[in-house]
Formats: sequence, C-alpha cells, structure tokens
Amino acid sequence: MTNEVALSIRDLHKSYGRHHVLKGVSLELPKGQTLALLGRNGAGKTTLIKSIVGLLKPDQGAIRVCNLDPQSNAVELRRHIGYLAEDQQMFGWMTVEQLIRFVGAFYRDWDHALAAQYLQQLQLEPDKKIKQLSKGNAIRLGLLLALAHRPEVVILDDPALALDPIMRKEFNRDLVAHLQDIGSTILYSSHLLAEVEPVADCIAILHEGKIARYATTNKLREDVKRMVFPTEYASEVLAQFPIIQFQNHGRDASVVVEDAPAATCILQEWEVPYQTVDLNLDEIFEAYVTDRMDSIPTMNTAG
Amino acid sequence: MFIRIEKGAAVPISRQIAEQIRAQCLAGQLEPGARLPSVRQLAHELAVNQNTILRVYERLAAENLLEMRHGEGTFVSASLPLHELATQKMKFAEEITRLIRQGFMLGFSRGDLRTMIDDALDSPETKTSSAGVRYD
Repeated sequence: MTNEVALSIRDLHKSYGRHHVLKGVSLELPKGQTLALLGRNGAGKTTLIKSIVGLLKPDQGAIRVCNLDPQSNAVELRRHIGYLAEDQQMFGWMTVEQLIRFVGAFYRDWDHALAAQYLQQLQLEPDKKIKQLSKGNAIRLGLLLALAHRPEVVILDDPALALDPIMRKEFNRDLVAHLQDIGSTILYSSHLLAEVEPVADCIAILHEGKIARYATTNKLREDVKRMVFPTEYASEVLAQFPIIQFQNHGRDASVVVEDAPAATCILQEWEVPYQTVDLNLDEIFEAYVTDRMDSIPTMNTAG
Repeated sequence: MFIRIEKGAAVPISRQIAEQIRAQCLAGQLEPGARLPSVRQLAHELAVNQNTILRVYERLAAENLLEMRHGEGTFVSASLPLHELATQKMKFAEEITRLIRQGFMLGFSRGDLRTMIDDALDSPETKTSSAGVRYD
C-alpha cells in the first residue's frame, strides 16, 4: 500500500440557487483504497460525485483527481477515471457489442482485449439488445464501459441500488475480483450499508453537506459504540466527551460515542457502572444522520 | 474451509471470519499443516475486501494459529497453541456460569434450567456443521 493520494478534495462548496448543498467538504483518498460514500437522499452525494468527475463546477474549493483539476483538465481526466452514473442512459436499440465499440471509440487507451475479457467474465451476451438487458446486466455493462480503458480511479454513483440481493453480492464480488485485485482506487456511493462493510476500506458519511465522519471501516466500528449507564449520571458524564446520540430510557440512559476508548477511560475514572454495546453499520450511520438527543434529566437544558 | 458471514451484524466481518477460522483450527476441523485458501481466493469467494482477509490472517498468525510462509501461502500452524484452546474452554465455562446466574435471577428453578439445557442439546439448531458433529 502506498501513501500516494489518488483523490483530494478541499473545502468544497456548491449551491443551487439558495440551496447550499455542499458546505465545505474535504476528503483525501489514498491510491488503491475503496471508499464508500454514505448519505441520506439529498445529502449531496451525487453533487459531490459530479463535481469530482468534472460534470459540475463547484462554487469554491479544490479538487484533484490523479493530480488533475476536473474543471481545467476535463478531457485529460477522462482517460484516468471510469465513471458509472446513477441513471446511466444507454442506447436501447444497440446490441451490447455495438455499444462497446461505440463507447470505445471515444477513448485513446481503450483496451479491446480487456473489454472482451470483461464481457466473458461478467457473462454478458454480445448480441443482446441493450433494452432487453436485466438491471443487473445493464449495470455490469456500465461497469465494463467504465473500466475498459484501465482507469486508475473508478467512481460509481449508487451502482447497487437497482440490484436484487443476489446481484448485490455478485456486484461486490465483481468489485473485489476485478477492481481491488488490480489495485484500482474506488469511490462509490451507496445506501446499502450491510453491502458496503465487506468491501470498503474506508467510509465517509456525508450529512447536510458536510463530512460527518471519515474513517477506515475498522476504526469506525471500533470507535463508535453505544454506552449504557444509569440515567442519574447523565448530566455529569455527558459534559465529558462528545456524543452523537442520547436516549433516555427511564432508569437507564444510552449514548452513542464517537471515541469509545476515550469514553471508557472517563467512565472508569468516574466509577460509573456502564455497559458497552457494539453497533452495526446501520446503527452507526443512523446515529450520525438523525437528530436523537433526548433532553437530559436533573439538569436544565436551556439553550 | 466453510465460513459464513452474517451481513449487517453488530460483530464486524473481520472478527466473524477470524473467530470461525480460529474455532476450526482449535477444533481440529482444519488440521495442523493444512493449507488455507490464498488471501485472494478467500476474498473472491466471500466477496470481501482482500485487505480484510489479509488482516485476519496476520492476526491469527500473530496468535500462532496460522503460519504465513512467504511465496508459499498460509497454513494452519504445525504446533497449535493448545493453551489457547484451554483458554477458550475456560471462557465457555465462565459463560455457562454467567448464564445460569442470569437464569436464577429471572426466577428459573434448577429443574427449569436442566430442562432448558436438555432441550437445547436436542434442538436441531445446536447441531454444528456435519464436519464437526461426532456421534457417540
């Protein structure tokens, strides 16, 4: 693993009219890593992705993909990235083979042998009409088209959304077997958190136009935990460390903490009886993107 | 080597894989010296990131359960750390004690608990995979 950066984003802002979608997004993705971008609908995932591939001009901030600026080096950038859009439109009347040849003509580095190899590995029938493809196969064709020029960085906007559970697993296997295997850098957005965990090296949670958390998948699971303790300790304890969720269950209170090892130290020091509960990725995501802060008892929550 | 991954579980996938390989080594289902699938093979098979598999192998190698030989592959250690098995068995015994204490707190009698354990022993859900079942 190298420390070379494949993608860097600094303080990115983008508004549509008065709607401020991206409010200062910063990210850095090392070469060869797979980043899953998570966020609710409207969080700004597609806006961020379109800015990265040069389809949208940000209002402020800097983007470098393979050391290129997507705005000033748009054409050059095309050779280095593969992009699969959320709503990929393809010519339905063409056959698979015709479309591959058509798209390939736009790329100087198109590898016909590789395209033929993917065609076989992804089990696509060359003579089939595009409009007759199943959703799964349409996405596989989209992947092929995004990959046959051997891009260094692959960007996929919610590729697994339309897939059934079996095809999602197949898609994950395609990512692992065809992309991670050759060291590609991958950024993909998804809603399917259980599908993301097995594949992603790191996870970025985009919430209300900002990155709420960016960490390796492992670190996220080690750091973000639920801690349960008697409610009577709530007001003194909560001032001690940052929490992203607080729920009052009556006798017990539970918090979701961002840094479980640090919180554990404090609770032990204060001799608070507590329990730690591991969270799955769904629960971690929910804690970051929903506002669940019950009021804290025995303390005035003014302001 | 059969490994089952429960997606979306609170137990991280790396831990799920590590625990299953560890258990199979210690139970003798994977024999000392046996070759494990390569990182790449297992990653493809389970549709899991190669780095995750690599970290699992490295962790188990650090526990002396596996041996990673450069250029040759990964093998079940020829000299398994049997104290590890003893530790696991001890943990299991502690777990049973804890469960029984919890059972008493919930108001079950000794007889209730015995019946429950017998039922669990006969339940098809507690059967381990065929390779591990010993009929006596």
